[in-house]
Amino acid sequence: MGRYILRRSLLGVGTLLLVMFVLHLLTTFAIQLNGNPALAFFGEKVPTKSQLAAVEARFGLDDPCYDQTGNPCLGPFVERLGQYAQGDFGTNLRGREVTDIVATAAPNTLKLFLVVTIVWFVLGMGLGTAAARRRDRSADHGIRLTSVLIDAFPIFVLLLVYRYVFAVPLSGWAEDTFGEGSLPALWFRPSFDDDHPWATLLVPGILLGLAGSAAFIRLVRASQLESYAGDHVRTARSRGLNERHVVTHHVIRNSAVPVVTAVGLTFTEALAGAVVTEGMMNIYGMGGVLWEAVRAADVALILGIVTILAAVTVVVMLVVDIAYAALDPRIRYA
Amino acid sequence: MGRRAAVAATATAVALVLASCSGGGGGNDDEGDGGGGGGGSDPDATLNLALSQDVETLLPMDSNVGDNISVLDVVYDGLVRYDPETTEPYNYVAESVETEDNTVWTIKIKPDLTFQNGEPVDADAFARAWNYAAYGPNAMANNYFFERITGYEEMQGETDDDGNVTKEPEADTLSGLKVVDPQTLEVTLTGPFAGFGTMLGYTGFFPIAQECLDDIEACAVQPIGNGPFQVEKWDQGVGLTATRWEDYTLEETPEYGAIEWTEYTGEDNWPDFEAGNLDFAVPPPAEQQAAAGDPDLQERYVEGPGAALTYMAFPLYKDGPWKDVEFRKAISLAVDRQGIIDALLPSQRVPADSWVVPDVVPGGTGGTCEWCAFDPDAAKAALEKAGGWPDGEKLTIHLGQDATEQELFKAVGDSIQETLGIPYELDATPDYFARRGARDFSGPFRANWFPDYPLNENYLAPVYASGDAKNGNVEFGYYSADFEAAVKAGDEAATLDEAVAQYQEAEKILATDFPTIPLFVAQNTYYYSENVSNVVLDPFSGEPKLRLLEVTNG
Amino acid sequence: MPDRTAPEPTAATATPDAPAVDASTSLGGDAWRRLRRRPDVIAAAVVVVFFAVMAAFPRLFTSTNPQSCVIGDSKIRPQGLGGEHPLGTDVHGCDLLAQLVHGARPSLTLAFVVVGASLLIGVTLGLLAGYYLGWVDTVVSRTIEVFLVIPLLLAALLLLTLFREVSVGGGTFDVILLPALVLTMFGWMAYARYVRAATLEAKNLDYVTAARALGASDLRVMVRHVLPNAIGPVTALVPTAIAGVISTEAVLAFLGIGVRPPAISWGIMITNGADWVTGGYAYLLLYPLGCLVLTVLALVALGDALRDALDPRLR
Repeated sequence: MGRYILRRSLLGVGTLLLVMFVLHLLTTFAIQLNGNPALAFFGEKVPTKSQLAAVEARFGLDDPCYDQTGNPCLGPFVERLGQYAQGDFGTNLRGREVTDIVATAAPNTLKLFLVVTIVWFVLGMGLGTAAARRRDRSADHGIRLTSVLIDAFPIFVLLLVYRYVFAVPLSGWAEDTFGEGSLPALWFRPSFDDDHPWATLLVPGILLGLAGSAAFIRLVRASQLESYAGDHVRTARSRGLNERHVVTHHVIRNSAVPVVTAVGLTFTEALAGAVVTEGMMNIYGMGGVLWEAVRAADVALILGIVTILAAVTVVVMLVVDIAYAALDPRIRYA
Repeated sequence: MGRRAAVAATATAVALVLASCSGGGGGNDDEGDGGGGGGGSDPDATLNLALSQDVETLLPMDSNVGDNISVLDVVYDGLVRYDPETTEPYNYVAESVETEDNTVWTIKIKPDLTFQNGEPVDADAFARAWNYAAYGPNAMANNYFFERITGYEEMQGETDDDGNVTKEPEADTLSGLKVVDPQTLEVTLTGPFAGFGTMLGYTGFFPIAQECLDDIEACAVQPIGNGPFQVEKWDQGVGLTATRWEDYTLEETPEYGAIEWTEYTGEDNWPDFEAGNLDFAVPPPAEQQAAAGDPDLQERYVEGPGAALTYMAFPLYKDGPWKDVEFRKAISLAVDRQGIIDALLPSQRVPADSWVVPDVVPGGTGGTCEWCAFDPDAAKAALEKAGGWPDGEKLTIHLGQDATEQELFKAVGDSIQETLGIPYELDATPDYFARRGARDFSGPFRANWFPDYPLNENYLAPVYASGDAKNGNVEFGYYSADFEAAVKAGDEAATLDEAVAQYQEAEKILATDFPTIPLFVAQNTYYYSENVSNVVLDPFSGEPKLRLLEVTNG
Repeated sequence: MPDRTAPEPTAATATPDAPAVDASTSLGGDAWRRLRRRPDVIAAAVVVVFFAVMAAFPRLFTSTNPQSCVIGDSKIRPQGLGGEHPLGTDVHGCDLLAQLVHGARPSLTLAFVVVGASLLIGVTLGLLAGYYLGWVDTVVSRTIEVFLVIPLLLAALLLLTLFREVSVGGGTFDVILLPALVLTMFGWMAYARYVRAATLEAKNLDYVTAARALGASDLRVMVRHVLPNAIGPVTALVPTAIAGVISTEAVLAFLGIGVRPPAISWGIMITNGADWVTGGYAYLLLYPLGCLVLTVLALVALGDALRDALDPRLR
């Protein structure tokens, strides 16, 4: 087991370095092809060369390789890696520490993801199990239809309708019924409030979770159907164990394994939903910050954030792999 | 980025806390509740405003975006402030601003003023701020404001095409800036400019404390101002709190106690206004009809003229049909400005028919553009006169990536296509500024101007004058000797009024040459809650005048 | 989104009822017989064919030019069949029916191109990795992992900005080129994993070993003997994946990095319509959203049926 973990960890670090390098190349080429993000600084004004050079220096874009299309800019990359190794993640274009930005943004996103994950699990396990048990009956068809509808319905439409149609009357009603500043009133606030992060993240999290739950419902259903057909379930039933026991101990528990795996994989996917959700609900989080950073071609910020994110993802995948290996005796650590 | 249109909705919200009153409608999340009352403010009240998330700094020398400017307006006091009705400057921190020849300006500063940290606000405080901003390598956003002051050139280094420094700046202070005594500042310009006194109230000319200069990074997030409010705490990306500075000695200070800005990623904060969390907001286009139909909301609606001008420019540096003034007229006549506004942004824009926006700056009058009304027949005739549009070609319209502007310009393109039969395509490029600077456009493009200081000159000289007879100005290759002469005559005029009149002459030359097509002028509108009164919109910035607001109980 | 949560190779595909298996000849023929017997499949197929025809021959459905918009005709409500604007007009005064009909092409082409290309890449790499193992497998597996770690949206954004200066013409394929490229680059991993696992299994089957012993070339073994075993479950993923790309296109449009205006796609129409849904013009959203949901539903139903029909474990 120890050697397995070590090997997986080394592979993880390798993946991380590759990801960083790929991203570095992408952002570098973007700057080389599209010209200088420093120019946007001047707005309607046309800067003189020296003004431009001064702003480039301030933005950390003064290395000549950024002007040479095709140059991979290895110098700045190695330099940056060295700084990362010392825990220095640099600053964004306007000189704010990347770590400071992440420290403000990450907690909100993590809270959002926690709500989302819980919703995934509850909906996925609940509806997926129900569908598998009533397979090919109307409940099953209904659940499968719903999951497809959820999938097809774009998340931004969901959020927009919620904000404009439901949030205002609901928060008004909650304020009248439970009082201003009461918990229910906060739940339905049309946008995020930094003083009450949990309360105001709840509904956006549920909506985002709902939008992403469809894949989980299908996954749980499929894996439980497989379990139902499995030998161990047949054996358990033939031993006369009652149905509830069979379902909880042999079907649901087994189906949890692929679901856990999928959660690990979907971590990055959820970020896409987070960009939309955070933008619309005005949550200062990783998705929104990343989005803005890419739009502003803020190399240092993109790389800093993605490195941190990728590190987390690699660790999550690692943990999931190890948990998977531990849970499923069929997998042997080579 | 850059100076954005005033429409960039900075909604504002006001709440007042007066424990004894009973709750009115549209409550506020602050602890207080109470009924709407008469005028006046409560000293404990908190004003909640919205702020756009792209605010990155609160350093006056580095702030040129609408939102930081509106924060800094209550945190700092400038030498002059602007009348909310006429936008004309009047002395504020300055005791007097005088000049004999429009070249040497003597500024007297009121005695005994201090910064919030106790440092004196004197001639040095202004000199150090201006020198810092004017020094090229500091790369301050407001650097170019100082180019009229003697010694500016010496403070800029030189670089070659690869961005290598070929010459370090020779000086780190403006030679034209002299501290005569603690209360007197003497400024020498490179040439006469009658409008210099008008510029002095702009954010870039605010003073800074020595403590601020010693730790410029700290000061960028925690300013040390000399205005009626001081910044308590700024969680970048989340919110900003400012409280009233009790030791403020000048007269223009509101009576409420604090201002809280919540940062928004977009401009979409209407539901928060409806839910009572914000007291100032602009509805998105889809909600405008509903808002306009709500009699209750209509009582709390304010609108006023805006200063931002959206126009269409042509790459006059490239050969094409647009080199013919008749073609440009045809395009202008083909755009149904009013129809576009009615369908897309009712009440947030008005059709433009001048190059200087009317009503918001001295010298701005409407109607100077003869060919800015929608007239399909005249448009077709003009196109005929210009020789038509080459068959099979598409008119490419370049613009930036702002969603609202893309909508507007799709409608502009549709209008041209329908009227003149010229097929078009929109090129929404993220590198708009870079490509414009590099003269890389192959068709007309959107341009926008938001003035830096209230004077008609600012709509004209910075945009159209270049002094480069051969190539014309960088952005669109326009050059007119007459225009340059008229601007120069304005700069050299003896009084501001004469200068304004001269600049109006310059605008007339534009009206004849027709290098650009005025399209839309922003209109400032806000809905506000029952909690605020005495709402006056600054015609220049479009924002409510925070110092005049009165706040009652929410 | 391309369904990345989907199937770990070892985990789970549905096991449908085991209907009596005809004494059939080919896998395809058998599957066809099964599909035919289900009315929902027929309905789904009709929907898909309907929209496919719409994408291929838009002129059959409308003669109005979708790009001809008169701002004065803004937001005319649906007039019903026979009116000048049967489904009304949008904010810009463009005919909604014409937009809907012409918008089908970019949306559907994008989906088919992305899934087709992903399938090609995924199957090839998965096959090679599973068959040769060794360093080929290491490279492929590592690449899969790298691509899985980069968030799709970030990659999309970066790549779409990276190539934004590439001159894109107005042809059907040109307007979807960039999103197609990006979605393909990040859409092939699931197929590769799937095929790799199936190849590993199939490689050791007796007849494959036999074929190799008889001196069949690697290529021949892979294509003739291994691939047919691996392709079944992957085929079942295809309709669902197409549905996923159609939905993703809408999100990309919302973020402003999808199909480029003035080209029209359902995603762009949904994005624009969503702004007006609360202002009393819900039809601007409901028509394109309805088309999208209907297509997605039909494709998923087809996918389910295909999976049931093709699952090799039933055979």
